[in-house]
Amino acid sequence: MTIEALITMILIFGICLGGFILFLYLSSKEN
Amino acid sequence: MRKTETFSRWGIIFAGIGMAIGTGNLWRFPRIVSQYGGGAFMIAWIIFLFIWAIPLLTIELALGKKIRMGVIGSFGKMMGRKYAWMGTFVAFVTAAITFYYTVVTGWCIKYFFATCFHGLIRKDPIQYWETFTSSWEPVGFHFLAIFIGCSIIYFGVVKGIERANKILIPSLFVLLLIAVGRSLTLPGAVQGLNFLFSPNLSQLGDIKVWLNALSQAAWSTGAGWGLMLTLGVYSRKKENPLLTTAALGFGNNMASLLAAAAVIPTVFSFFAGQNLAQEKVLDIMRQGNEGLTFKWIPILFSKIPSGNFFLAHFFMALCFAAFSSLITQLELISRIFMDTGLTRKKAVVIVGLCCFVLGLPSAISMGFFNNQDWVWAMGLVVSGSFFLILVLKVGPRKIREEIITRTEHKIRLGRWFDFLVTFFLPVQIIAMLGWWFWDSYSANPGNWWNILSKTSIGTVIFQWTVALAIFIIFNKLITKKLSLDKNDD
Repeated sequence: MTIEALITMILIFGICLGGFILFLYLSSKEN
Repeated sequence: MRKTETFSRWGIIFAGIGMAIGTGNLWRFPRIVSQYGGGAFMIAWIIFLFIWAIPLLTIELALGKKIRMGVIGSFGKMMGRKYAWMGTFVAFVTAAITFYYTVVTGWCIKYFFATCFHGLIRKDPIQYWETFTSSWEPVGFHFLAIFIGCSIIYFGVVKGIERANKILIPSLFVLLLIAVGRSLTLPGAVQGLNFLFSPNLSQLGDIKVWLNALSQAAWSTGAGWGLMLTLGVYSRKKENPLLTTAALGFGNNMASLLAAAAVIPTVFSFFAGQNLAQEKVLDIMRQGNEGLTFKWIPILFSKIPSGNFFLAHFFMALCFAAFSSLITQLELISRIFMDTGLTRKKAVVIVGLCCFVLGLPSAISMGFFNNQDWVWAMGLVVSGSFFLILVLKVGPRKIREEIITRTEHKIRLGRWFDFLVTFFLPVQIIAMLGWWFWDSYSANPGNWWNILSKTSIGTVIFQWTVALAIFIIFNKLITKKLSLDKNDD
């Protein structure tokens, strides 16, 4: 796998998974 | 007055994710991402999650929570009853999509059973598809999909939608993860990942990449459909709409990414063994609505070890995704009937019968099915624009400070929201509709006006105009049936 593809994959998965977990946490805390 | 059921804390999130994750994640996203350049497309797609999907979904959820009525009632209450026809149009677009979505859900059920019990993997999938769609079987499976969907919502939002999604959504993610695990361990799968995630940033200069990223973000998350508004009717008063819709937006994108990571490396692995050029692989990925899923996926899985097991897995995931969205679509239509005073049970039976009868032409004729998909999928952009008109008429600041936010909310929308909905989103809508009309006209300049053509601009304008004219003419009659009283003019 190329380095560029690997970095993009980590970034895109990181944003989506990170955002999902973060907002689930915030939502459960506030709601 | 009847007591309204409310979702639990996690119930609304599961219901929202279920609404958003549909067949589009599993079959549309892999096709579109491979067509428009992998990594570059994904950057644009994530940007539109922030500036299109999450703001629109937040507005919808907040409106449903505030007004406690379906789409038509919410437009009537917020803008005055003379504008309720906009809500009727939004509801009709989602209903028109539901009429053929139940047909697609029926196909998914059929293919799941065909894989498990009829040895689909050993047959010629292209021939199998042609035989299936030219028979009366799609009508039976269309009925079965409606029957199952209506049975779920018949018992209400908590016993129906919440319980169903608490099973469907975690199961769907587990199925997708298993499919990704299988896909990534195939020989040559790395080539698929390279293609999927290589960022060719020069492609970001192509307007088609941006417009398709926007359309994918809109369709996939369900922004502008009125579905989140319907779920909002059953949300708790202290619910923070921004946090809930952000969680479902990111969850929806995760499901799309997993689907792409399951399908694209499998395709590349299969064709690596056949020594086919990448262009040929991409041509197959670009095939239309039914091409990749119902013709090529069975061929692909037939060539990998334990293919039958994983093909059954794939179609089960597709069924789960389809039902998790379908039940909210059926709820949206039922909610409107309930707003006229009907009981849930009567409303659901009427909706089930209407969906069966009005979905029959799509179940019988692929030409009619493709026409409806062409006309009403793009109608969602008009639906989204009606939500924006509502916000602009009421006032973005008022919507943000009085409808979306409550005093106890710690995380709130900033002033950027006002700028976004006043300038940015309207420009996006005009650009998208304008480009789509121009692109469709250029593809068919001699026949664009033909209303009998399956995929012309003429048929779109004709059907939209007829629907809008009917809803404007009968607006008074429709609003009279709903409890839109008090000084709402």
